Amino acid sequence: MTDEQAQPGGATGLFIYGIVPSDVEPTPDAEGVGDPPGEVTVVRHGELAALVSEVGLEEPMGRPADLTAYQTLLDGTAAVAPVLPVRFGTVVTGSDAVEDLLAAHHDRFANALDEFEDRLQYTVHGRFDEEAVISDFLAENSSAAALADQVRGRPEAESREERIRLGEMISQGVELRREAENRTLIDTLTPYVVSHAPRLPSNELDAMNVAFLVDTEDEEEFVRVLEEFAEQRRGLIRMRLLGPLAPYDFVTAHQLAE
Amino acid sequence: MTIATTGGQAGSALERGAGGGAGGTLADVVETVLDKGVVIDAQVSVAVVGIQLLEINARIVIASVETYLRFAEAVDRLSITPKNQKGLPDLVGDAAGAATKGRAISGLGKAAQEISGAVADSLSDRGRDRERPRRRRDEER
Repeated sequence: MTDEQAQPGGATGLFIYGIVPSDVEPTPDAEGVGDPPGEVTVVRHGELAALVSEVGLEEPMGRPADLTAYQTLLDGTAAVAPVLPVRFGTVVTGSDAVEDLLAAHHDRFANALDEFEDRLQYTVHGRFDEEAVISDFLAENSSAAALADQVRGRPEAESREERIRLGEMISQGVELRREAENRTLIDTLTPYVVSHAPRLPSNELDAMNVAFLVDTEDEEEFVRVLEEFAEQRRGLIRMRLLGPLAPYDFVTAHQLAE
Repeated sequence: MTIATTGGQAGSALERGAGGGAGGTLADVVETVLDKGVVIDAQVSVAVVGIQLLEINARIVIASVETYLRFAEAVDRLSITPKNQKGLPDLVGDAAGAATKGRAISGLGKAAQEISGAVADSLSDRGRDRERPRRRRDEER
């Protein structure tokens, strides 16, 4: 297929969304990336199929609408069939390349799809309420509280060094608290999940950020326990549950690039 | 925007965002999908686009002087010196009361705004985005 690599400018490629079992059929209303949205089709090989749509190679990719289209398609698919998300932005030269890809890793992809049968991802986010978490920290740390008394109400220009010192102490306190909250969350939910994948904090005030792979028959119990967990932290942590999602955080073991 | 009430109670402490990007903000979408998924290697002819976006997620939260000063500012906003500050159980007890509910909700709105602001920044001006870490490092020196 190497002769396909040199495509002239203005040519089109195939954007790959994900890999699914071969019996998956995109519905006519499925919209792909691009403007106007590309038509989503499948390329099949053996027991596998890839969800793809045509894109212009010159077209800018990665507009918010493209990201949303990508996620909508994958999450919608995950609700009815197992799917392995392919990293956003993966474009190959044509359907031959897609078939090559499916052929080269057929058994690996098929096994991975088996693992995701009747399983979905949920992502749990927590964000500390800034005032609540700082108050808690100052209450437990007398040297930080003393420093807080010194800087409070004074202009930044004349208390900058103390402020930096205080802020650093708070920052470390929040980090420890975050580690503890993440651990507690994982411990609490472990009986109801297949596995978990920690995610990096995306904000200084993140309290927790963990992806869970959940068996569909345990979904209700998982949500119920999580609601209890959130209730116990009301006022301190703003908790959000995203999902059900395609298993974005659980395909890393199946990465092909080394 | 889907606010599912799987638990059956309004006012649940757990906010729900459905999949499919429908219930979440753009920040959720970016965080959920970027930098995830099967990586196809180059044995098939592959062109990868959207590289700039992939970099956004690679930004890790690094504590900086800016962060520290912001935390110190938050201390200014705390109403009273928390000498005998309540522990977590008290806080939770209070928050369950009707009186504090309003406060919790307004705080929440603020957080949501901050999130969308952050993404607007990172999406609308990638060039500037890349400058930022550099500037931070300079300030720390």
